[in-house]
Amino acid sequence: MAGVRLAGREQGRPDPVATSRRPVRAIGLMLMLEAAGSLAFGAYELLRVDWRRIVSMRTLPSRDVIETLALLMFAPAVVLTLLAALGLLLLRRRGWLLAAISQGMAVATGLWLYATYEPLYVYPIMAYAVLMILYLNVHDVRAVFYPGDQKRGPRRMS
Amino acid sequence: MNAPYPDETLLRRFEPVLRCTKGDRFFPIDVEPYVQACSLWAQRPGEEPVRVVPSGELTLETLPQQPLDGSGAVHFLKFTDPQNLPEGESRGVGALRERAVRGLRETRKAFRAGRGRLARVGYVSRFVDALYSITLLARGRVPGEAAGMAAVAYRRAMEERECYAYHGRVTRQEGWTVLQYWLFYPFNDWRSGFFGANDHEADWEKVHVYLAAAEDGEMRPEWVAYASHNYAGDNLRRRWDDPEVEKVGEHPVVYVAAGSHASYYAPGEYLTELDLPLPRPLARFFRGARGFWRERLGQYAGAAGVAAPFHIPFVDYARGDGLAIGEGGDRAWDSPRVISEPAPAWVSGYRGLWGLYARDPFEGEDAPAGPMYNRDKTVARAWYDPVGWAGLDKVPTPAEAAAAALGRREDLETRREELRTEIGEKANRLRKLGAEAAAVRGRSHLDARGRETKRHIAELSEELGRLRARLAADEAVSGSLSEYAGRMEAGERGPARAHISRAHRPASETELRFSRVAEAWAAVSVSLMLVIFVAIAIFEQVHLISMLVVSIAFFAFAEAAFRGRLVNLVGSVNIVLAAGASLVLLYEFFWPLVVAAVLVVSLYVLWDNLRELRR
Repeated sequence: MAGVRLAGREQGRPDPVATSRRPVRAIGLMLMLEAAGSLAFGAYELLRVDWRRIVSMRTLPSRDVIETLALLMFAPAVVLTLLAALGLLLLRRRGWLLAAISQGMAVATGLWLYATYEPLYVYPIMAYAVLMILYLNVHDVRAVFYPGDQKRGPRRMS
Repeated sequence: MNAPYPDETLLRRFEPVLRCTKGDRFFPIDVEPYVQACSLWAQRPGEEPVRVVPSGELTLETLPQQPLDGSGAVHFLKFTDPQNLPEGESRGVGALRERAVRGLRETRKAFRAGRGRLARVGYVSRFVDALYSITLLARGRVPGEAAGMAAVAYRRAMEERECYAYHGRVTRQEGWTVLQYWLFYPFNDWRSGFFGANDHEADWEKVHVYLAAAEDGEMRPEWVAYASHNYAGDNLRRRWDDPEVEKVGEHPVVYVAAGSHASYYAPGEYLTELDLPLPRPLARFFRGARGFWRERLGQYAGAAGVAAPFHIPFVDYARGDGLAIGEGGDRAWDSPRVISEPAPAWVSGYRGLWGLYARDPFEGEDAPAGPMYNRDKTVARAWYDPVGWAGLDKVPTPAEAAAAALGRREDLETRREELRTEIGEKANRLRKLGAEAAAVRGRSHLDARGRETKRHIAELSEELGRLRARLAADEAVSGSLSEYAGRMEAGERGPARAHISRAHRPASETELRFSRVAEAWAAVSVSLMLVIFVAIAIFEQVHLISMLVVSIAFFAFAEAAFRGRLVNLVGSVNIVLAAGASLVLLYEFFWPLVVAAVLVVSLYVLWDNLRELRR
């Protein structure tokens, strides 16, 4: 346990890290996998294109090239995913928020690309991100990072 | 009214200490001079209100007469009628306004609101609050100068004779002796003075102390309950030995909220929310969806209820830094005005309102009825059932606790005996039916009878199972009751706060340390958003939808960041996005997804079966 801490944890609560390290690490690894996969796929797609020929051409690039270029729109989400994965592997509380934002960005980008160019690669990316969102939102997983969510709100006046 | 009653001793012994908030202008008084200063009015349905008794002629004795009564009529007092001002006082509206403004300025000088109420609640609530404020223009409400006029009248009365008084009633119910301290304030200036929900003439508040006779016959305080808005039940009540109940000697300390006069156990600022409920079918739908989301899918669904998603926030400032009345305070209580039994006519006979009837459909601006009645003239629960009002009706007095537990155990013993007999009879019948089923088995001419017997056996067996389960549970409860009775007899008491499910707590220091930027944001965000929407609609019609989405996202994120709710917002937005993406995937890959789902299920079944085989 030395060196492992969950930022913002309150005193007196049972140590959530001790009981829930495995799912948190699992999410971290899955995010790392997602980021690595996205990077590898992006690199493969970008390297496939003969950029010199496209630059020398005076006409608009083909649809395939535009779709490949659109992959770059996932770059912010991938960077955040990478950071989130690192955060979760270090069991930082902010890891959850970063992971949620990165997955939201991935889905939002995917939906936007689906509505405009409809490239095939958005489907696996969206499917993976949806599964990640649902897993991140599982009550028990979320409670590890935000135990305060269980608290009741203020009393209401009738 | 001031004659010495035996009850008066009890009332005096436990009379509360009120700690008010700096800036509050009204304190508990005797109703007699108030009534004398009021005029009595009658409002019949579809007619203009009529003054039936002018001010100065009304007394506590004549109050219950209520002339011009009839179906649907509402009688009410008017304390701040310009016609009530004595000769010599300026009657011009301008002068009244000036006086009201001066009074308000004095209040604001003495009272600093601190972090604004709007900064403590969500964007939607602030928007609804703005709408609620706008409705005040259309709703009936107490006139703006009323608070100032009431303050002038109150100050004048105090200058004549400074007096702080409560009306006390001692009533006995189910072993409890209830000391009811009825506190009458001439005006509630929560809205005009302290950014609250309403203003109204007259305000009746109450503090109850529950006594029980000890073995030596001495009356001991066991519980207290302070009234706070319209709340009732367990959460209002505190046990006398609860550390939250502050005391000066034997006098419980009450922190009085500025303007609203709601009573609290601890000093501080309390966030109170007015719920605006959803229509019932919609609420039911959302409840069902939320249940499915949380229970079936195991997803996080937040802690807030769905029946009332819109709340208008108000803050009750019960700081305790103002005037203290009672034992050890700045002012002493006058001798109690005892409400003896039978209740005097001004209590039982006058069913009207104790101040202006503003005809507010939300009733917030209408004056309250007296201690005995609700505004609709029905008898108030706090009057006829003070024990049940604080949820104490299920709690035996300490002297009766052991006896109550043993009594319940006896009931259970009797029921267990009955259950045992019933179980014996039914078990016997079941055995006979079993024999019959065995006897008819394999005989084709008795097949129908055999089926019927089997059905009876199944039914009876199930019923027997239920009865045995109940017997077992009763046995466990009976043992528990014996143990509990033993502990009670030994003088042990349970935890003091076990009955409280939602204690009303003041805002913490951390919450109060909210940045000025957040406060400024709270103050301007609603108006800013509306202006931006209008600007987009006028200047960006080509990109209307995308610009609206971007601006809403900006406001939502800014809001969430200020209020520390970014996690919830991101979670909610993600769920919406995930739902949209799922629909897209379902639309594009319906059959492959069906095939995949079947494959997954078959693989799971295979894995499960193989696992069983290996065991």
